[in-house]
This record gives sequence, structure tokens and C-alpha cells, in this order.
Amino acid sequence: MTKPSTLVVNQAAANADSRFVAPDLVALDSKGKPRLIGGRCRNCQVLSFPRAAVCVSCFSEDIEKVQLAEEGTLYSYSIVHQAPKGWTVPYALGYVDLPDNVRVLAHLDAPAENIAINMPMRLAVGVVGADASGAPLLSYTFTVV
Amino acid sequence: MRDVCVIGTGMIPFGKYPDKTLAEIGWPAVKEAIIESGVPHKSIDAVYCGTALGGMLAGQRVMKTLGLTGMPIINVENACSSSSSALAEAWTAVASGRHDMVLIVGVEKLTKFGGGTLPLEREDWEVNQGMVMPALYAMRAKRYMHEYGLSARQLAEVSVKAHDHGALNPNAQIRKRVTVDEVMSSRPVADPFTLWHCCPTGDGAAALVIGSVDFAREQKSNPVRIAASEVTSGIYTNGYRDMTWAELTARGAREAYEMAGVGPDDVDVAELHDAFTIAELMYYEAFGFCERGHAYELLSSGATSLGGNICVNPSGGLLSRGHPVGATGAAQAVEIVRQLEGRAGAHQVEGAKVGIAHATGGGIAGLDHGACSIHIFVR
Repeated sequence: MTKPSTLVVNQAAANADSRFVAPDLVALDSKGKPRLIGGRCRNCQVLSFPRAAVCVSCFSEDIEKVQLAEEGTLYSYSIVHQAPKGWTVPYALGYVDLPDNVRVLAHLDAPAENIAINMPMRLAVGVVGADASGAPLLSYTFTVV
Repeated sequence: MRDVCVIGTGMIPFGKYPDKTLAEIGWPAVKEAIIESGVPHKSIDAVYCGTALGGMLAGQRVMKTLGLTGMPIINVENACSSSSSALAEAWTAVASGRHDMVLIVGVEKLTKFGGGTLPLEREDWEVNQGMVMPALYAMRAKRYMHEYGLSARQLAEVSVKAHDHGALNPNAQIRKRVTVDEVMSSRPVADPFTLWHCCPTGDGAAALVIGSVDFAREQKSNPVRIAASEVTSGIYTNGYRDMTWAELTARGAREAYEMAGVGPDDVDVAELHDAFTIAELMYYEAFGFCERGHAYELLSSGATSLGGNICVNPSGGLLSRGHPVGATGAAQAVEIVRQLEGRAGAHQVEGAKVGIAHATGGGIAGLDHGACSIHIFVR
């Protein structure tokens, strides 16, 4: 498969506003590393990703932004060869389980032969497609630890 | 609630009709169902039209072509369960006594999108990260294969069976038999799926006329009764989920069996929602046709093939008959009714008395599926 390139973090930061598929889901921490932004209910502590507008456990709307764990375990994946315009096919897509009952769908930035169910994976940022003008689009990805 | 029976059925061969409008695809199925029912065509009390992507007032567009208007026409959208949900609403209308005779039509034209995977809502965050329907089912397949040791070649046998059945069905979109090697060597869609693991996109329409049991018996002796009519939705979580278990379908099946007073051992024929090969195997387990992890054994035993004791997808299913999303549920119901009436032709399941139609689907983050509708028919 075509391997999405992993960008250096400060480059991602420079483009975060316009080039991320979903800028709300990603931020850079104090050391410049990408982090997923989820939500934690201040009332019942339940985590959400993406950050929930309303807590599905207790109905509270008081949900703070939190940085989620950077490492998780691959639950399942597929190498996708057919997708709408804008995605760079083939791409690897998987569900990564983070601690505390959070499951994240993500592009996997690794060659297909290196990917296996239950393997540990680490958060990164990479090019996942292109916009209408052909400019690269970024998103959070997971790579092999 | 009173008993409800099927009085008439209609459907067009599923396929690609890019030059026809949605109304032109839909009306022949409606006309056939009404003529088959034998009731005066102006006596329909209400119409429930299922379509997922047909746009506003699809039911009115179909019905006005036949000059049948003025009654309540309700358009129902529930993704792949659109026309089976329409059937459930129609059943409720008749069972409750509100109406005596109701028409259901499912109609869809997917060729207007020019091929490719089904268009999904980009505001769904998983869709926005690259989720497509084949990938969702493919991840179920990968995990199932990991946990139960199923191989891709074994999975391909689902497609071989579907096309063996569909080759006998004049209404099927794909009437070509395939071998395991042909399935395995076709172009990749979403690993482990090649093209032949996936239902085709296309167009189609199917329709039913249903009525109260007393009304139905005026038209025909021994009409097929709708013994269970069930719609459920997926349960939301943004956390972990066992993707090897079709929780939504299993829950719906349990409720439908209870409503009908039958169990998995009583079922002779079933049209299950085999959008992708893995789905059929997972639904064997969800309907209790076998234990968890044993679906391939059931398939390879021949029990779910024509001639087996619980024939699944004699029509060819979504894989072969086709899956014009909103039309599928009505087409499954038409198939089961014709099976129970012994007029399915070359793909008849001999002596079938109890049949299931099951349509579920809709890619939506956090839910197993958006919707699931199950009907059990008894004769």
C-alpha cells in the first residue's frame, strides 16, 4: 500500500487550522506532540471521543476537554481500496482501543504487512488525502509502536 | 391488535436503470402488487414508501404515475431498513384497526450516484475520517477471522452460495455463478473483501399489499400472515464493542421470535441482510441458527443452501439479487411471501411454512447499525 507520510510536528502545527480533516479532534501538547482531544464529564467522569456535547451517561453538558492517551491496542482493521474522492487509496483504517473505554477510528500509518490485530499502536499525524485543489489533508493517525 | 396478512406482491428485476426516474422504477412493482391482490385499485387506504436516497415525496411521485393519490402517503427513511420499516408502520396501521388495506413500496435508484461505495453523511465523525461501509464490515470480518479461525476462502463460500441461488432467480441483479477462486481473485475492495464479497449497487423496487386477516380472506384462501413485525435501533456507545456479535440483530430476532411464538428451529427460509459475506455468517448466529463461532460449519453443511433445512437467501440475497438500499426490505418480504405460497419458481424452498425477512444497516459512528427491521411470515 501507499504509506502516508508522517509529518514533523511543528509542520502540523503550522497547518493545523486549515489542513486537518477535523482540527477539533487534535492538539499539540507542550512538547509539540499530537494529542487527541476528547471530553470528560465533570459530573460522572465518563470519557468521550469526539468530545460529547451531552454526557450520554448523566445528561450533563459540563464536559471538559481532555487529552486522551497516546497509546492503545488495535481492535481490528482493513486495507481500504475503494473510497470516495479525496482519500488516498489504498489506506489502512482501524479501531484503536485507548484506556478507559474509548475506541478511536483512525488511519493507520504502517505498511499492511506490519499491521496485526491486538498490536500496540501510538498516536501520530500524517497525510491521509487531498482537498479539491490537490493540497494534502492531515489527520491523526496511529503507527506501530 | 388484529392479525395482518399479505394480499399481493410485486417487484421488478433488480438491476441498473440509469435512464429511468425513481417513479418509473417504482410504479411497475406497485401495479403488480395491486393486480395480484385482486382488490379494486382505488381502495387502498394508505401508502408507506421506503427509500433511503430517493429524495422528498418519493411515494407521491410513484403513486401519482398510477393515478392513486389522495390517501395518506408516508415516506420512511431508515437506511437499509427503509422499506422494512415502512412495512412495520403499515402493519401497525392495519393491526391497530386504523386502516384495512395498505400498500408498501420500497424504491431506490443508486445509479444516480455513478457507482462506488454508498454515499454517507460526512458530519458523522467516522465517515469524516475515512469510514466506508465495506471497511466497517471488513473490520468485523477481520476480528471474526482472528477470534474464530475463519479463512478468507471459507468466507468466499458465502458468495458462492449466494450466486448459486441468484442464478436461479429472474429478479436477481447478478445471475452469474462464481467459484471460490473467482471470488478470491477479483479486485480488492476492503481487505479481506474482494468485489464478490460485496453487494452490488443498483436500482430496484418492490411492493406489497397487506390487509386485516378478514379482509385478506375475502381475496384468497390461506393468505400468508405477518406473525411478527419488529423495528429496533442500535445502542450507542463511544467505547469498546464486540464487533463479532450482531447485537442489534440478535435483540431484534429475540423480540420477533417472541412476538411470533416461534423459534429458530421452526424457520424454513430466511432472507438475511448479507450486504457483505461476513454479515450472513454473523446473522446465522444472531438468529440462533447455530452457536457463536460456528456459522461456517452451518454454511459448509449445506443446511442454508437450497435443499437444506434452513435455506438462507434463496433469492441470492443482497450479494446476488442486489441491494438498492431502500427497496431491499420490501423485496425480501416479497420473496418470503412467494416462498411460503410455493410460487418462487426455480429457487423454491420446498414446503416452506415459516420465513424471516431481515433488513439492517446504516453506517453511523457508535452504533452497531442504525436500524434493524425483522418480519416473520407464517402460512
